[in-house]
Amino acid sequence: MQFTFQCKKKRCSFRNSNATPLPEQGERYHGVFTGLSVEISEPTQAKSLHDSGCYGKGSKSRGGPASGDEDETLLLGLEESCFLAFYLKVLDIQNLSGTSLGWEEFLKAAKDLNDRFVENLACYLYLKSKNWVIKSGIKFGGDFLIYKQSPQHFHASFLVIVQTPADFDYYQPKNLKGVQRVAETSDKDVLLLTVVQPKEDDSNLATPEALKDISVTETIVRRFNYSSFVQSKQK
Amino acid sequence: MQFVEINPTNTYLSGEQLIKHRHLEIEAPSGGLKRTQNEGSAAELEEITAALANLRAQLSVPRIERLGGRALATWDKEQQAAEILRKDGKFESFGYSVQGKQYLEYYEALFLLELGRLQLEYHGVTVSVEQAYVLLLGELESEKYSNYLVYSTMSRAGYIVVRHKRHQPTAEAVTRSDCIWALLDLKIGNIPIAGNIRASPLYAPVEKSMEDMKQLIVWPNMEDNENSCEPIDFKFDTRKRKSNTASKGDPGSKKACLSTGKSLVDLSKTEATFSRFERVFNKFDIVQLKISDYPYDDDLTLPSLNISFDLHLHNEGFKKRTPKTPSFNVMILPPDALFPTHSEIAQCQRQQRHTAPLLVVSVSESKQIQAFLYYIS
Repeated sequence: MQFTFQCKKKRCSFRNSNATPLPEQGERYHGVFTGLSVEISEPTQAKSLHDSGCYGKGSKSRGGPASGDEDETLLLGLEESCFLAFYLKVLDIQNLSGTSLGWEEFLKAAKDLNDRFVENLACYLYLKSKNWVIKSGIKFGGDFLIYKQSPQHFHASFLVIVQTPADFDYYQPKNLKGVQRVAETSDKDVLLLTVVQPKEDDSNLATPEALKDISVTETIVRRFNYSSFVQSKQK
Repeated sequence: MQFVEINPTNTYLSGEQLIKHRHLEIEAPSGGLKRTQNEGSAAELEEITAALANLRAQLSVPRIERLGGRALATWDKEQQAAEILRKDGKFESFGYSVQGKQYLEYYEALFLLELGRLQLEYHGVTVSVEQAYVLLLGELESEKYSNYLVYSTMSRAGYIVVRHKRHQPTAEAVTRSDCIWALLDLKIGNIPIAGNIRASPLYAPVEKSMEDMKQLIVWPNMEDNENSCEPIDFKFDTRKRKSNTASKGDPGSKKACLSTGKSLVDLSKTEATFSRFERVFNKFDIVQLKISDYPYDDDLTLPSLNISFDLHLHNEGFKKRTPKTPSFNVMILPPDALFPTHSEIAQCQRQQRHTAPLLVVSVSESKQIQAFLYYIS
């Protein structure tokens, strides 16, 4: 009864061998916080950021910016832009009027958009430090989808759902079974990450490093075919 | 001389009739989309009547009873179980005995009765299947029905299903070496430490001295030569993140439901792309896996986590008297109950010795059952 996860390779012709998981240190990208996401409008910057770690999504494409249009921008999600700006320190975030956003301002704005932003960010960091490529999980009804190497080469291995210990939504049979079935049809597992904060109150995250007090637990619940298991043992 | 004609209440079927009856299939009409709301239309009414007629046809197939080859049992009100009066056939995995008398649990009795292998009597009168349901499962709604459902489905699927047995620790005094072995079992085999060992006054000092020795072994070599101490790491490491990154283990391969204290989703860290950026990765590696630090209390199981059955496989030489470690522990989840959380599973696992993987069997509102396996960090 060993646990192994799927890393299903995609059939694709091209191989981008010099792709890196992270942008080089010392790079400087410039993005604008539009109130929904962080936009990178300069095409070469957008392409280079997407090539080094598959961050963001082209505004006119399914994946990276690929339409070739002049006005296509790279849209970065809240968690990834926060990670690039305050942990890797390769991204400057400005607001629409052109002033730079600091950690606290960005955190406040992000929390206004998503009150689970801190939990999501903690999970993002946790998974990112394990070298997963993290994308939005909205199309499968979860918080994140995580890929090995890049979405161009592999199918997502897990559908990630971020939880707090007080949150029992996904422990309800119909919700868990539902999300499980959706994930299972595309060979993914559901990964429940429960974010444990030492204090209830997360208002005093003064620096990006303050997230170190947060820890997570992993739970994977898999459907088990008891009849085919027993039959396989009888042979 | 006058002949009196006696009509037997039971009818007997010929061999041909029996075979025909056995392969009788009443198919439900299928096709088309499922309806999700009441429309009240004529077509809907027709479908409902057809479905009801089909159900009636299925239920009114005459039941064929064997006259021979049946065990006999009588309902014992005090024990709330069926006392076996006469055995027939193999009874290997059924029943239990109290004071020289053998009893069948309610689910076992009902299962055998439905298979036509048991005749159940109540004050000397044979009970019908319908009466047996009321007698054995009770008139009021209870967890007995779900238990029976799971018992019968799992038995039919091919498992030996027995009531869950908690490991009983022996009452002997705990020695220093018991503590050491238990700690080693925990670290190498992930076998939780038994309550009586943890409660021993010797336990804490032994754990402390083992930790100290581990520090001595691991740390001096840690920085100058990571490779040479790798096997040692793998054996002793559970706490330290630093040694965790060095251990190669077998990423993404973990035992079901045993809390390993390690991540289930580690990717290989030997890839060129990772090693090139290792320093950067370590820099933002600030959110850590929670290593279980829940309070240890071994006397109480959580009320929500009741393990009902143990599953054994037929070809593993099951013996009722001396059961081996089961293949699975079964926990039954009623339709409205929440799935167990990480900490509930971790705690449940710590409270038993020799944990088999926990199978969470969810019974839905429509009485369908589905099994789930948990994997936790």
